[in-house]
Amino acid sequence: MTATDKPKIGIYGFTGCAGDQLLIIHTEDEILNLFGAANIQSFVMASSNPIEENLDVAFIEGSISTKEEIEHLHELRKRAKILVAMGNCAVNGGPQAMYTGDGGYEKRLKKVYGEGVKFMTDPLEAKPIDAYVDVDYYLPGCPISQPQTFALISRLIHGAIPEPYPHPVCHECKLNENRCLLLDETFCIGPLTLGGCGSACPNHDVSCVGCWGPNEDGNFGQHIKLLESFGIPKEEIMRRIRGFGGSKIIKFIEDGGK
Amino acid sequence: MPSKKKITIEPLARVEGHGGIKVEITDNKISNVEVRILEGPRLFEELVVGKTPQEDLNIVPRICAICNLSHKYAALRGLEKAVGVSVDSTTKLFRELMHHGEMIESHSLHIYFLALPDFLGYDNAVAMADKYGDTVTKALQLKKFGNKIMRMMGGRMIHGENPIIGGFGKLPTKEALTEIKGEALELLEFAIATINLLGGLEIPDHMERETQFLCCKPPGEEYGYYGDILITSDGEEHPVENYKNVIKERVVSHSFAKRGQYNGKPFTVGALARVLLNGKRLKGKAKEAYDQLVTDRWYRNPLFNNHAQAIEQVYSLEGIIETVNQLLASEDAEIAQPTQESGIGTGVVEAPRGTLIHHYEVKDGKITAADFITPTAMFLDDIEAFIRTGGEQLLAKNQLDNIELQFEMIARAYDPCISCSAHIVEVVFK
Ligand code: SF4
Ligand code: SF4
Repeated sequence: MTATDKPKIGIYGFTGCAGDQLLIIHTEDEILNLFGAANIQSFVMASSNPIEENLDVAFIEGSISTKEEIEHLHELRKRAKILVAMGNCAVNGGPQAMYTGDGGYEKRLKKVYGEGVKFMTDPLEAKPIDAYVDVDYYLPGCPISQPQTFALISRLIHGAIPEPYPHPVCHECKLNENRCLLLDETFCIGPLTLGGCGSACPNHDVSCVGCWGPNEDGNFGQHIKLLESFGIPKEEIMRRIRGFGGSKIIKFIEDGGK
Repeated sequence: MPSKKKITIEPLARVEGHGGIKVEITDNKISNVEVRILEGPRLFEELVVGKTPQEDLNIVPRICAICNLSHKYAALRGLEKAVGVSVDSTTKLFRELMHHGEMIESHSLHIYFLALPDFLGYDNAVAMADKYGDTVTKALQLKKFGNKIMRMMGGRMIHGENPIIGGFGKLPTKEALTEIKGEALELLEFAIATINLLGGLEIPDHMERETQFLCCKPPGEEYGYYGDILITSDGEEHPVENYKNVIKERVVSHSFAKRGQYNGKPFTVGALARVLLNGKRLKGKAKEAYDQLVTDRWYRNPLFNNHAQAIEQVYSLEGIIETVNQLLASEDAEIAQPTQESGIGTGVVEAPRGTLIHHYEVKDGKITAADFITPTAMFLDDIEAFIRTGGEQLLAKNQLDNIELQFEMIARAYDPCISCSAHIVEVVFK
C-alpha cells in the first residue's frame, strides 16, 4: 500500500484531559504499526504540521465546551466519512457534564472566573458531541481501553463493520472471579456501567465508579434500592451515578430511580 | 504608520491539550505575547463541592491524564490532612514508587516524543525512527516501564482508582516488585546514554533572561517530589499552607486566569526548578549526571528543562531500585482511617511539570471548598516572558527564519499541559 491509498485518519481533542489520545500514544506495541497502516493526517498531540483534508475516519475526544468547538466539530463532520466519539467526554460529556442541565452553570462559571469577563470564545455547558452532530461509533471509557480501541481502529481501517459490546462491568468482574463488593455492602455501580475496562477497579477491591458510562440494560431502580439498603444515602448514590453519566444518564435514573 | 505583523501558531503541536501562541510585532518590536488556552473551562473546583473525599479522588485526576497520579497524590495529601489520616511508612514508600513511575512515563514521553523531534528536525518521533531507531525503541521501552508502574500502583494505566484515602486497594506482590527492580536496573544504562545525547545538543541562547524558581522542599536530606514547604530561588522557605501569599494570582487585560507570580514576577517550576534548587541532594548516577550537565546557563534558559528531566529519569530509576529494596524489607501496609469529619488541608506534590497544589476545606465529611493550582498555571507567564526576550533578540539579529519553531520550542520545553486549564482560560475584559 502506498501512502495515498492508506485510509486517512485524524485524531482530535476538544475539552477533556487528553487521556484518550494519550492512551493511543501509550500503546507502545501498536503505535508504530498504526502510523504504518494508516495515513495519520492530523494528530496534533503527537505530531506537528497536520494536514487538514477529507478523512476516512475522525476520532474525536473531549466534550464540546466552547462556541468555537461547535464550529470545529461541524467542520470535521463535513470532512469525515466516519466519525467516532472517543472517550467518556465525547460520548457522555465527561465529568465536567455531571451537572449539565441543572441550571447552575452560569453561577459555577462566575464562581471560578469572577464577574464581568468576556472570554475569547464563549464557554458553554459541557455536552457530548452527539448533541451537535451525528456520531457513527462510540468508544466509551475514561479513558478508552487499548483492546477496545485497537479492535475498532483495525476494523475501520480494513472496512469491516465493528461489533457492539453490550456487557456491563459486572459481567467482566464475574469472569475475573473477583469477590463481589456488594456482598460486603460496599458501593459499586458495575452492574449499571458499560464494560470494556476488564473490571479494572473491582480487580483492585475498589468500587466501579461508572467511568464507561451507563449500560442501557442496567436495572437502575433495583440497584439504587440495593445500595440504599446498605445505608448509603440516596442523595450520595444519585450523585455518584451521575459522576460519569453526563446528562444522558438522567433518563435511566428517571426511569428506574423512583 | 507603524508596521504591524502578527505571528500566530495554532494549534500548538506536541503538547497536551489545545493551545496556541500569538505574538504581535509593531515597528520591529514585540508588542504582545499571548500563550492562548483554547480548551473550554471544566470548573473542577466547583464540581467537587458537596462531595466526599473519596468521590473527589475519583474526579480530580481527570484534570490531566499525563499526571493523573500526581493529581491523585496531591488530593490525597490535602484530604488526608483535612480528615486526620496518617498513613504508615510502607504506604508512603508505595506512593513514592507510584510517583517515580509517573515521572518516568511523563518525562520519557516529553523528552523523546514531544521535544527531541525539534532538536533533530522531525515532525514526530515515529519519523525519527529511521535514523534514530535504537533511541526510539528504547524510549518506548522506558515509557512502557513508567506506564507499567502506574498501572501496578494506580490500578490502570490512566485514571486508575487503586490509590484511596489511607492507602491502596491492592498492593503488588514481592515478585512483581522484584521484577520492577530488575527492569529499572536494565533501563538505567539508556537513561544515562540520554544524558550524553542531550549533553551533545546545541541549545539556542536567544531567549536567555533571569527568572525565579519554585518547588517543594523534600523532607530530610534527600532529593524528592513532595514536601510541606515551598522553596524559592531567593532562598526563602514558605509553609505550604501559605501558598496563597506566595503564589499571587494576577489578572491582566488579555487574560483572566489563575496565573501565578512570585514577588510580582514570573517564575519557573518543574524539573529545571527542582534540579537547580535541590540538585545538591542528588546521589549516585543522578549526581554524576548533574555534575556533567548543569551550568550557569541553566538559570537563564528554559530549554534545559529537557536536560533536567533527563537527570530526573536517572534519579527515578535509581529511586525505584532503592524504594523496592526498602519495600521488600517492610511490614505490610494497613489502610489508615480518618479520625475527624471536618478540617482544612493543603496537599502539595511535584508533578512532572512542577509544583501542584490541592487545597480543601471539609465539613461533616463533605468538601465545602477546593482550590487547585497547577504547574501550567504557574509558568505561563514565564513562557511568555521568554518568548518576548527570544523574539526581541531574533528581530534585532534579523534571524526570522523558523521564528515560529523557536517560539514553539520555548513553550514545549515547559511541557505545558493545557488540559490543566482546570481554570486557565484566556479572556478579554469588556
Ligand atoms: S473521557 Fe476521561 S480520559 Fe478521556 S478526555 Fe475525558 S476525562 Fe480525559
Ligand atoms: S471498573 Fe468502572 S470505574 Fe473502574 S475503569 Fe471500569 S468502568 Fe471505570
